[in-house]
Amino acid sequence: MTGAFVEIDALPRPSATVVPVAAARPSPARRLLRALPPYLFLLPAIGCLAVWTYRPLAAAVNLSFFSWNLLPTTPKEPVGLDNYRRLLELPDLWHALWLTAAMTLALLLFTVALPTVVALWTSAIRGRGRAVYRAMIFAPVLVPPVAGAAVWQWMLDPTSGAVDRLIGHPINWIHEPGPAQIAIVVITGWHLLGFAVLVVSAGLAGIDDEYTAAAMLDRASRWQTTRWITLPLLSPTLVFLALMTVLMSGQLTFPLIDTLTQGGPDSATTNVYYLLWEWGFQNFDAGFAASAGLLFFVAFGVVATGLVRLSDRLTFHDN
Amino acid sequence: MAVAETTAPAPARGEPSAVADLAGETGARVWLRTAVGHGVLAALSLACIFPIYWMYATSLRRPEEVYNVSLFPWPLSVGNYTHVWDVIPIGRLILNTFAVAALISVGQLLVGLLAAYAFTAWRFRGQTLLYLAFVGTWLVPFQVTMLPNYTLLYRLGLLNTLAGVIVPNLASALGVLLLRQHMASFPRDLLDAARMDGRSSWSILWTVVVPNLRAPLAALSIVLFINAWNDYFWPALVLQRADSVVQLGLRGLFVGVEGPDWGGLMAGSGLACLPIFGIYLLLQRHVVGAFVRSGLK
Repeated sequence: MTGAFVEIDALPRPSATVVPVAAARPSPARRLLRALPPYLFLLPAIGCLAVWTYRPLAAAVNLSFFSWNLLPTTPKEPVGLDNYRRLLELPDLWHALWLTAAMTLALLLFTVALPTVVALWTSAIRGRGRAVYRAMIFAPVLVPPVAGAAVWQWMLDPTSGAVDRLIGHPINWIHEPGPAQIAIVVITGWHLLGFAVLVVSAGLAGIDDEYTAAAMLDRASRWQTTRWITLPLLSPTLVFLALMTVLMSGQLTFPLIDTLTQGGPDSATTNVYYLLWEWGFQNFDAGFAASAGLLFFVAFGVVATGLVRLSDRLTFHDN
Repeated sequence: MAVAETTAPAPARGEPSAVADLAGETGARVWLRTAVGHGVLAALSLACIFPIYWMYATSLRRPEEVYNVSLFPWPLSVGNYTHVWDVIPIGRLILNTFAVAALISVGQLLVGLLAAYAFTAWRFRGQTLLYLAFVGTWLVPFQVTMLPNYTLLYRLGLLNTLAGVIVPNLASALGVLLLRQHMASFPRDLLDAARMDGRSSWSILWTVVVPNLRAPLAALSIVLFINAWNDYFWPALVLQRADSVVQLGLRGLFVGVEGPDWGGLMAGSGLACLPIFGIYLLLQRHVVGAFVRSGLK
């Protein structure tokens, strides 16, 4: 909550309902008219969600039981659960799932661990330095993904790239499996680090100084204070960042994979979302792609619920 | 953070003003830690900013010197910029992208404003369910909805049009949730007073709520604009031509006849970044505040 009216909000509200208290019993038509306004205000937004999020979700469920090549002229062929069976038997799927999980874990380094350290350090700095560091670390957040991919590919170029010249050892970053995986993670991390630092810094700013001051008075060391006071109070922010990383990492790496590696070399940098894209729009196997998408939807839903539960259990609320 | 600090040696009897003294640290250790901290932070900051610097540095070299790796480009030249101007219609691409991002962000702002107002000014049947419908969109991966949305766009005849990029993006759950939170902390008495005056809820929204939400609205619009500008997946799907928006135009430069056209690519990327950097430099405080708020949901 960062609104300008937080203090006022804390005041007790006399009555939550704004619907005017009906004096006498109005006619049903009038009551309907009175109930209408909120729905009218919601109509554009709900309409958009219905058409562009929930209708396609339902359509994808339907599509997953058909075989269809995306051409409007060819009929959809019902195949029952075949798409799902094929999916689970496909080694590509497990490979991509494993890679997605590994890349997400590696990304957590850039979206949780490193931002925490940076935010703690910068918050200890007084004066202009703090703003300068944070502005510089934030700048990559603003770079469009394709521009980021372009400049990194240029820097990682094996014959004349800045990175290989710097380390004095030519590494073919994009075309060897290991280095390509590292490159995708580091470039995505570079895009996200500044945002995560900002979020953690905001979380830090929301922690009351009195807790740490009290701990210091009790002669706790800096490290002890950080470990036992600051980090627990910060944990809701950190769990939030982890959740964002898990839910978004597949999408965030997509532009990089699409422009830099196309999932290669030897499908070392593919992930579940890139696989879906390939199945749907390169192999034109719409039903298959839909069934895979739904499977991932359910899986991510489970992971997200688990993380929310975890955060409820782990977090300490500052009351 | 140095692990050695876990053992706080000397008892502190110093003045309570300096926290470091309380933890029993000597001046030299504080100084050392500060120096190490600054060193690491400076290195990290430089690593973050270097690719951006390198992009502009390369783009400003003379086209035949693109492979030069001297830290400072000299002599400066706009050759790469004129080159990229000739190869792809970069001016029109940037204009297109600007129009798309502006329309998307304005649309999301308007739609979000109305929805957030409905959630705060009334209590109504189905409120929680409808609210959850917005939160739920976070869970639906884009890749699940892309196929059905693609076929719908095809039937509407919107494939390969900028409208096809804009229309499906007009509602943003982020916008609704953020604005609802800001409106919830809006003083209720003001709303009630306006209602007493006999104003319609529509006029209350525009004459009372919106003028008081100017700061969050500005901040949110910046985030929405930057998000729309940087969106890649959906435009790539809908617009299968390189001469549409800047991200797709740049993608075309990756595959040249003799490998990527680095000079042109860096100049084009530099141009694609400029509007966003401009907004950032002009409105820095708002941008940072906006991203923080969007992160804190």
